[in-house]
Amino acid sequence: MRRRPGIGGLQTAAAARDQYRLLGENVAKLRTDLMKEQLATFRSQLEDFARKHKNEIRKNPTFRSQFHEMCAKVGVDPLASNKGFWAELLGIGDFYYELGVQIVDICLATRAHNGGLINLQELCKLLRPRRKSDRELVSEDDCFRAISKLKVLGSGFEVISVGKKKLVRSVPTELNKDHNQILELAQAQGFVTVDEVERRLSWTSGRAIDALDTLLDDGLAMIDDGHRDGKRRYWFPCVSSITSVLADS
Amino acid sequence: MQRLGDFKLPAFFNYPPYFTLQPVRETREKQVQLWKELILDYCRTQKIFVIGLEEEFPLFSNLVIERSLSNEAREAFLSALVSEGRAEWLDKGHRKCLILWHRIQDWADLILSFVKENGLEDSVMTVEEIRSGIESRGTELQGMDRTVLMRALKVLENKGKLAIFKGTSADDEGVKFSI
Repeated sequence: MRRRPGIGGLQTAAAARDQYRLLGENVAKLRTDLMKEQLATFRSQLEDFARKHKNEIRKNPTFRSQFHEMCAKVGVDPLASNKGFWAELLGIGDFYYELGVQIVDICLATRAHNGGLINLQELCKLLRPRRKSDRELVSEDDCFRAISKLKVLGSGFEVISVGKKKLVRSVPTELNKDHNQILELAQAQGFVTVDEVERRLSWTSGRAIDALDTLLDDGLAMIDDGHRDGKRRYWFPCVSSITSVLADS
Repeated sequence: MQRLGDFKLPAFFNYPPYFTLQPVRETREKQVQLWKELILDYCRTQKIFVIGLEEEFPLFSNLVIERSLSNEAREAFLSALVSEGRAEWLDKGHRKCLILWHRIQDWADLILSFVKENGLEDSVMTVEEIRSGIESRGTELQGMDRTVLMRALKVLENKGKLAIFKGTSADDEGVKFSI
């Protein structure tokens, strides 16, 4: 287009720009509408699905965890609120709130014994007898979700990974890398010795003793001087399964 | 679950560190608490009144995990019971300990209800009869430790519920109830 001189030329150019912008906006709006429509369809289908498989979602932990994954992908959080469609349909909010309360309960009851660190597996085992009444199975994934909701309370509830195991922490102690490595080592037998820590992790004696002392002070470890070989053993209740029976008593 | 005769042992009994006195205060408090409960429970069900620190006592060792309590630990657990009024040292050296799963006052109350249930309000009995007579068979008084019994009777005597007197035979005493 040949550029015409004068004020008229400028005005035409501005008008053309406006036209382009409008057209562009329209296209964008159209796309968003389409997207919104698609998402709405998806949501309603998800709701249909949830309605249809309501019982399975409630009863079957694997199914439940897959359903959660699906929800997360479309930005639906069935746990976000206790009101509204999801809660009414599935009662799923209550399910996790109740679970959360039971988890807090168990963590407190076993804290004196394990120093506020408990094996997730162990926790599930302890939950089972408490939930006998409603016969709904609880998976580790459910506990995980319930605990992540507890985080909002700022009470320091958290799931941490140590080696292959997942541990639930209910005290605000920070475990550093050294402590983690010791806990990982302890998973094999339930205990470690200073020698073993030095040898397996190639640490100096001071480093091992220092880390073990901290774990002891935090109530995460217990000493055992009773073995025949005379070597002090450091036991970690959070990685052995004695807790279960203790909490019953 | 491991058993001692008909007694069910708690799970902590199989966890080795519970046999070593824990250095950290909170951990130790929990440990002492568990042992106190275990000792009282065991003594109540087995009707054991006296524990000798240096003698064989089934709870002091666990052969399965090859652990036993040090003398220091034994004394610590029993001392914790003593400070709660659930036990008393019988000697200055703390070698023998009287376990009171019922406090003396509770024993006295048990004797009172025993007397009432059997219509013995104005009767005379020997101390031995209270422990091993027909009336006490099947009650908690059966086989009761003599020291504990005498202490409970003294409590009742001070309240004027009975009088203790020397019997005809030198080794037994009589009790005249007046409730």
